[in-house]
Amino acid sequence: MTPRVVPFGEAAILVELGDDFQEALIDRARGIADHWETVAQLGPAVPAYASALLHFDPLRTPPAQAEKAARAMLARGAPTLVAGDKPRRVIEIPTTYDGPDLAETAARSHLSTEQLVTLHAAREYTAYFLGFLPGTAYCGRLDPRIVAPRLERPRERVPAGSVAIADGQTIVYPLTSPGGWRLIGRTDLAMFDPTAEEPARIRAGDRVRFVPL
Amino acid sequence: MIRIDEAGVRSTVQDRGRFGHLRSGVPPAGAADRFALAAANALVGNAEDAAGIEIIGTPFRFTCDDARVVAVAGRDVSLAMRTRLPGWTSVFVRAGQSVTVHAAEHARFAYLAVSGGIATAPLLGSRATYLPAGLGAPLRAGDVLPLGEPDAGAEDAGRRVEPTTYDGRVRAMTGPHDDRFDADASARFFGATFVVEPASDRQGVRLAGVPIAPRPGELLSCGIVTGAVQVPRAGAPIVLLADHQTTGGYPVIATVIAADLGKVAQALPGEPLRFYRVDRDAALGALRAERRALDGSRVSA
Repeated sequence: MTPRVVPFGEAAILVELGDDFQEALIDRARGIADHWETVAQLGPAVPAYASALLHFDPLRTPPAQAEKAARAMLARGAPTLVAGDKPRRVIEIPTTYDGPDLAETAARSHLSTEQLVTLHAAREYTAYFLGFLPGTAYCGRLDPRIVAPRLERPRERVPAGSVAIADGQTIVYPLTSPGGWRLIGRTDLAMFDPTAEEPARIRAGDRVRFVPL
Repeated sequence: MIRIDEAGVRSTVQDRGRFGHLRSGVPPAGAADRFALAAANALVGNAEDAAGIEIIGTPFRFTCDDARVVAVAGRDVSLAMRTRLPGWTSVFVRAGQSVTVHAAEHARFAYLAVSGGIATAPLLGSRATYLPAGLGAPLRAGDVLPLGEPDAGAEDAGRRVEPTTYDGRVRAMTGPHDDRFDADASARFFGATFVVEPASDRQGVRLAGVPIAPRPGELLSCGIVTGAVQVPRAGAPIVLLADHQTTGGYPVIATVIAADLGKVAQALPGEPLRFYRVDRDAALGALRAERRALDGSRVSA
């Protein structure tokens, strides 16, 4: 699809870069969100796989002016990674691989649980963006050999710290909540601390490694 | 200081929301009926970003240790001291005087503002309570909360803001994912009457009615706003409220305008909602009308 800028209510616009999963689009979306927050300074932004949601105050910034600023960012092409100029951090997540879905998920891929653990821990992932619950970083991509769909019946209660996979990605549940991803392990590392200056452990763009215990 | 003598069913400190950590997945939270809190704040001379108390269920009773101007706003709400006093009106309260917030048959969220504002320590730049992540906690009987310096005094009692008409007529802009729906789905959405489901909360209002299913196909998750009308595959829409997740993967057929979010938030299970298509200029016009209504009643320091 051609990139476009569409209204999302009267106080936000959505910049859509594409409709399929591409790591280049994720970087671009984050670059646009960073630019909106730190250079244009018209309001907060939320990047995702292939889009950036840009908030503004329509009583201060006329929507047409906000759209013009967004189109100008699109026209500039390559992202100016303002906030991303910092070197990428590597976040290590000590993980006990004993999740309730580990055996079934390994079996459906014709792997032993040890093989699945090895493949999950072998890669250094990229944190694409955060969403769902405070501090939830969507990380990818998984080794294609351990890709599996979400559970058909989501759990009503997934404990905080659960390490999970689904749809080619991996996350850590930051809070106890309902959830439909496959639970393969757990970590004691707090993923969200509201009293910290930066409350989310993982920042979009970080590299993430799971270290088996 | 304000002391909570009876805390209702679930009462929390709320302001207009926490917008500084959306990209870390922290929902905006804040008042579900944003205009009602804004009106209560304006009536007692508070700044727009002041915090008040969102009250679900009564009885809610409080006492301040010094003289304050207070106001309650919301649907079907009033105050009682020696006599019953109307909602959406500023009231002078003496030190130590016990005040009860009354919520009648159609009340869902009531908003109490006290001159000076609730001055609890902000977390991540806001006083808004978001219970799932431990940002704030439900208020309990016996809690004592600090108050800020008031700008309003006894002479400011009796001011009034015209209450919202909670009539279930909700204006919405189309999109952003209207191209994920057939044209007749959009026509059905704007022509139908929906009924509010009991499973509605501060995260969203779930609707039952004619199915509005999107066309088949995957949608990549994207950032979403309060007021977004998400439509999961089964076709039953959900209007997102203050505690909504920051990203979502369901197509959004329409977005409720900010000025009408309170009508959605305050709708009770079983009540009807109808959506009326408006453009962005109309949405902005409604926001400006709100601002004029508040400025006309605002206590000036």
